[in-house]
Amino acid sequence: MYFKLARRNIKRSAKDYVIYFITIIFIVMIMYSFLALGFSADIISISENMPIFTTYIIALSVIVTLISSFIVSYAVGFMLKQRKKEFAIYELLGMEVGAIQKLFLIENAVIGVLAFLIGLAAGTMLVGILTQIVKNIFDIPHSYRVSFSIKALLLSFVFFTLMYGAGLARSIRIIRQKKIVDLLYDSRKNEVISKQGRTSLRLALVIFSVFAIGTGIFLGGYGLTMQTNSAWGYLIGSIILLLAGVYVIYRNFPIMLITYAKRKNLKYSECNLFYLGQIGHRVQSSGRMMAITAILLTISLMTMFIGLVTGAGYKANMETYYPYDAGVAFDAPFTKNSFDGLISFVDEKCPVQEEIVFYLHDVDGYSIDALALSDYNALRSMLGLETVELPDDEYLVHCDTWTHIESIRAAMNKQPDVTIMDATLKNPQARINEEAMEQFQMAGTNGYVLIVADTIAAMLPANKIRVVMKLENGGIPELRSEIRRYLNSGQWHPELQAGEILPEHVTMGVTVKAWGLSNSLTSFTSISFCGLYLSIVFILLSCSILAFEQLSALDINRRNYQIIDKIGVSRQMQQKLVHRELSTFFFIPLVLPIIVMAVLMFGAQRLYSAYVYQKGIIPLYGFATITVFAILYSAYYVVTCHLFKSNIFMNKT
Amino acid sequence: MGASGSGKTTLLNCISTIDRASAGHIYLAGTDVTEIKEKEIARFRRENLGFVFQDFNLLDTLTVSENIALTLTINHVSPEQVSGLVHKIAVTLDIADILEKYPYQISGGQKQRCACARALINKPKLILADEPTGALDSHSSQVLLSTIQSINTELGATILMVTHDAFSASHASRILFLRDGEIFGEILKEHDTRRVFFEKILDILTKIGGGVGDVF
Repeated sequence: MYFKLARRNIKRSAKDYVIYFITIIFIVMIMYSFLALGFSADIISISENMPIFTTYIIALSVIVTLISSFIVSYAVGFMLKQRKKEFAIYELLGMEVGAIQKLFLIENAVIGVLAFLIGLAAGTMLVGILTQIVKNIFDIPHSYRVSFSIKALLLSFVFFTLMYGAGLARSIRIIRQKKIVDLLYDSRKNEVISKQGRTSLRLALVIFSVFAIGTGIFLGGYGLTMQTNSAWGYLIGSIILLLAGVYVIYRNFPIMLITYAKRKNLKYSECNLFYLGQIGHRVQSSGRMMAITAILLTISLMTMFIGLVTGAGYKANMETYYPYDAGVAFDAPFTKNSFDGLISFVDEKCPVQEEIVFYLHDVDGYSIDALALSDYNALRSMLGLETVELPDDEYLVHCDTWTHIESIRAAMNKQPDVTIMDATLKNPQARINEEAMEQFQMAGTNGYVLIVADTIAAMLPANKIRVVMKLENGGIPELRSEIRRYLNSGQWHPELQAGEILPEHVTMGVTVKAWGLSNSLTSFTSISFCGLYLSIVFILLSCSILAFEQLSALDINRRNYQIIDKIGVSRQMQQKLVHRELSTFFFIPLVLPIIVMAVLMFGAQRLYSAYVYQKGIIPLYGFATITVFAILYSAYYVVTCHLFKSNIFMNKT
Repeated sequence: MGASGSGKTTLLNCISTIDRASAGHIYLAGTDVTEIKEKEIARFRRENLGFVFQDFNLLDTLTVSENIALTLTINHVSPEQVSGLVHKIAVTLDIADILEKYPYQISGGQKQRCACARALINKPKLILADEPTGALDSHSSQVLLSTIQSINTELGATILMVTHDAFSASHASRILFLRDGEIFGEILKEHDTRRVFFEKILDILTKIGGGVGDVF
């Protein structure tokens, strides 16, 4: 009998359940598809460290479960609010509380199972698309294929049961604790603008918040330019100030809006009175809700944008991080001949088209290595760069790590000349070459080098040796581990330069472009997809809170709209008022995320675009972020608007 | 007047354009109400009609003064005039001291006077009152009916009141009786005292049959 009643109830309160239902479907869909992606054998086998992606996705799913259980209990709270009169009547008619709980449980279980199944089906479709996107990133040929993952299904089911169970348990507790009288009589009271909150105090608070936001931005900007650990202090401080500022502004916004509108006689124009009443009667809770959603939306947009741009930027930059197909570095005084064996070993695996063996020289009294001009030019020609000329009494600096350039320039201004072995070298044009050549970062050097004439270099000790190779077809990812194995196997016998001894610790570095690229793509995929996953869930959370909040007072709203209809407000005007009311709640929280996104995109473009070696990445992914966001947000807005209108204007001809 | 189910509220709804008549015509100040286009209805309603309902229909989200002002703002009265007009009508209806309260903070009688103020402030050609005393105690009813009467005599507004209560009806100057959707009879107060008029009403109600219960 309960099942029958429950089924009828669902049918009757279908409108109330819509948003709830959609949100759960979305969450299951997103959770299942990302888990399935993480478990997909196709994806894991793409690169050596791809399994870390699976770990990230599972870890994030735990967070998503926690967040979603919050949505579920919020949604359940909303349902209870909508139907408390109905439950009170059941109770008055003699139904036991336990039976009512059972009824509610059955209803929700039906909804939950249905939503889970639909979400699963939609998720299965989505996995195909996500897999294609990942394969596209790795330049692997792909076609759309529907596949099913038992592991992902089981894990989604566990997470779903946890989040849904937590939400339902809460609702059962609420039903038990409520008394009939609470259930029957709703308080119609309007929330009052608190008396302590005088306008002047409020204004001071808002000015203070604006100041806090300004300080937050300044601290954040300052923190970003710092290279030390105290940067974290600045960044955390900045985030706290920003969040506090934003929260206070949003909490006070509706109150200020109403106070302003009432003062300026604005309230007497057109239907402003009604609109202000609609907004004003929940002035406190709507401010709080706007504050929370604004912050959530900002976090989700930032996560998505930063995730996508960092990931894409990473991919674009990898080409320049690995300019040579293969390279080996030793911080030890070996002879150049030592590498003959290695080169022929590599040649057997992948034919070597060109190789350069060169030294980095210690410069007494300076924390920078020196590179002979001829080696420098050889490297440049290998990379297709123009060779440079340098008189014997001059030097130049090569630095392809942008974070160091300013400090090198400052040091050169302070002390323009370099003294090496009694010879004073000048750099009259303060030349710093910045092309990506990267050889200097192998095995622990700092990403910059001093280029000097060969005669000067020959006088300096050569304690670091490097070999770089150009391979046919760019080489293979496995080459890295094979080279390492060869170097550590005992087959390789390096010779020391005459009169040199082997240092106690020898630093060794092996880079292989093919390996680096495939692994950087893993990072790209992990960062982007995790960002996307988390932010979509955040957006769903904010949207459903907004939607529930708007639909929670439908009874009162319906009555209010009926009244203005009777006193002669046209249907057109009523529709306009509905849109105005809903957009106030839906779009004011967007102001902050939009400003933050604009600042972020502008700032990222200005600060980092020079260091992302592919044009248009920031605007492209900014646009992608905004599109995903806009689609989800408008879907919720349209559904809410439709439900709101169909409830308000029902039974009207 | 008429028993429940006799068609009072349906008639009122048709006159007030809230409902559409399935047959026949209704003329109000020369306009055929049944012929007004959908788009024009709202305008016709706000320019010609005022409403007083049994359950007041005040917006809980607005104060008393804002509820009254709402009608003016819908009619595009200039904002500078609004406060003055609201205050004036509030003084007339003796609700000036509760203007800043919300509907849920005042009594039923006060709410209904507020609803009257809202109906009147726009100087409509016709005020439609559907069981205005239905939710009020006898004292509040008495006060309200006197108010409505003075609105009629002093402010010159025509009031069409629907009621099944003979006492309320005795404040009218002309009464139409409905039974099963048809006019059963009509009486005019003319020079009668209220007591005599009240007796006449009871007589007719007895004839109708359905109204006896209201008397005894």
